[in-house]
Amino acid sequence: MTIRSLFIPLILFLVITFLIGPFLIIVAASFSAGETLAFPPQGFSLRWIGKVFTVESFRASFGMSLFLAVGGTAAALVLGIPASYALSRYKLPGAEIVRTIVSAPIIVPGIIVGLALLRYIVVPFQVGITPALFLAHTALVLPYAVRVVSASLDNLRSDIEEAAVLLGSSRLGAFFRVVMPNIRGGILSAFILGFVTSFNQVPVSLFLSGPGVRTLPVDMIAYMEIVFDPSVAALSSLLAFLSIGIVFLAERFLGFSRYV
Amino acid sequence: MFQNRAEALALALPAAIFAAAVFLVPVVILLSDGFRTSGGGWTISAYTDFFSNSLNQAVFLRTLKLGALVTIASAVIGYAAAFAIVNLEPGMKGKMTGLVVLPLMISPVARTYAWIVILGRTGIVNEAFQALGITEAPLRILFSETAIFIGLLQLFLPLMIISLISALENMPKDAVPAARVLGANWFQVFWKVILPLTREGLVVGGTLVFTGCLTAYITPAILGGSKVLMLETLLYQQVSVSNNFVSASVIAFILIVMSFAANILLKRVATARNKRRKAA
Repeated sequence: MTIRSLFIPLILFLVITFLIGPFLIIVAASFSAGETLAFPPQGFSLRWIGKVFTVESFRASFGMSLFLAVGGTAAALVLGIPASYALSRYKLPGAEIVRTIVSAPIIVPGIIVGLALLRYIVVPFQVGITPALFLAHTALVLPYAVRVVSASLDNLRSDIEEAAVLLGSSRLGAFFRVVMPNIRGGILSAFILGFVTSFNQVPVSLFLSGPGVRTLPVDMIAYMEIVFDPSVAALSSLLAFLSIGIVFLAERFLGFSRYV
Repeated sequence: MFQNRAEALALALPAAIFAAAVFLVPVVILLSDGFRTSGGGWTISAYTDFFSNSLNQAVFLRTLKLGALVTIASAVIGYAAAFAIVNLEPGMKGKMTGLVVLPLMISPVARTYAWIVILGRTGIVNEAFQALGITEAPLRILFSETAIFIGLLQLFLPLMIISLISALENMPKDAVPAARVLGANWFQVFWKVILPLTREGLVVGGTLVFTGCLTAYITPAILGGSKVLMLETLLYQQVSVSNNFVSASVIAFILIVMSFAANILLKRVATARNKRRKAA
């Protein structure tokens, strides 16, 4: 047995344990029967998994996060698909500027985006917290939407739609009948990526919270600072399985990783 | 390629105007706030004030230090892990890469929360240490730089491993055996062959890890507590506890300058690589 044949499994075991182990501990802790968060779990029960669904603030903030993830991503796609199309198919004056502006929210730390929105949009224009969160999450997802949709447009030969236009279709008709069906996978992938990004996002939403209005991860942080029971572990496990499931299905049916 | 400019602008402008209004303009105003005097002039006194405060200095240096340490540690572990994965047979390689990517899909709140269970007073590490008689009383690992370091490393290590896997895969297959045959030891092989050939992957991974650490909020907030601050948690405190918006603007500017610098570096390396690929 050479050193190398020992080294490879050992390194992999240690690294994978470090990366996945903590998550497995969270899953185990969420089935605990005990009162406080502990590992190894004390006994086995589903009480904390059940409790997650009865905590009023979790239900409200889950609804908010779901709304932001679905609505914000949809809005980002409505803005992002035409912009990607213009960037990929037209001689657009100032194309680089447009590309930089729409992809900037990815580079600037989220906490700064949230604070800037709070101080210069929410306060002066009397915007409610919910619309402000919606704007913030849309801006946050926009770079991903443009990147993924642009990539799938660039992979699609542009002469098919030029042919459709030559054959008498309107530009709009060509887009919906020729281009859209071909980039459906890219759009769906952009949606999933945007959904997951928005749903897990914390820093952008930190300053944008009001009485009873919060996103789920921000609510979880607030909860764990007060209560030390396994319900956050249970909720974390549920959410993790949900997002792993979504990404797994997306990979299976769309070849998600090709687009991202 | 369509030529109609008006059409192109009509398609692209809504997104650009939206991003500018919701994001660009407010952020630029926020940043300029740190350079304004109350009379409307310009000044850098907020910056000299910020850096003359010893607490702020400590937070700034801690952020740089943790960012650097996590980047170095992830590079060392990343090379070992990526090298091990690249040398697996194809089926295993895919599965292992999947396991490395998996944590990226889990909410950072959940991933960070796990470390409370592991490192806390009654956590696994303390229970084990006491059972083995290594320590009498529980150690205070949570709310320390060590805890933040571990949390950040776990959060960002996958990004480094993935960058290095693709760098190692693009390396000529016979480079390492050739160096071995010519008498190089493993240290020389790494230093003279593997490192120069994967430098770009290392820079890409390193930039992702470093900017990730710089702009991470959840990890220092949960694992550092209110005492062991990094720039992001300091910014949050300045706003929510002290209502000090000038100081918040200064921190925001520092964070943005640092992440832009890292991103420009990343872009440079990426274009250099593309040019070389095209030339080859």
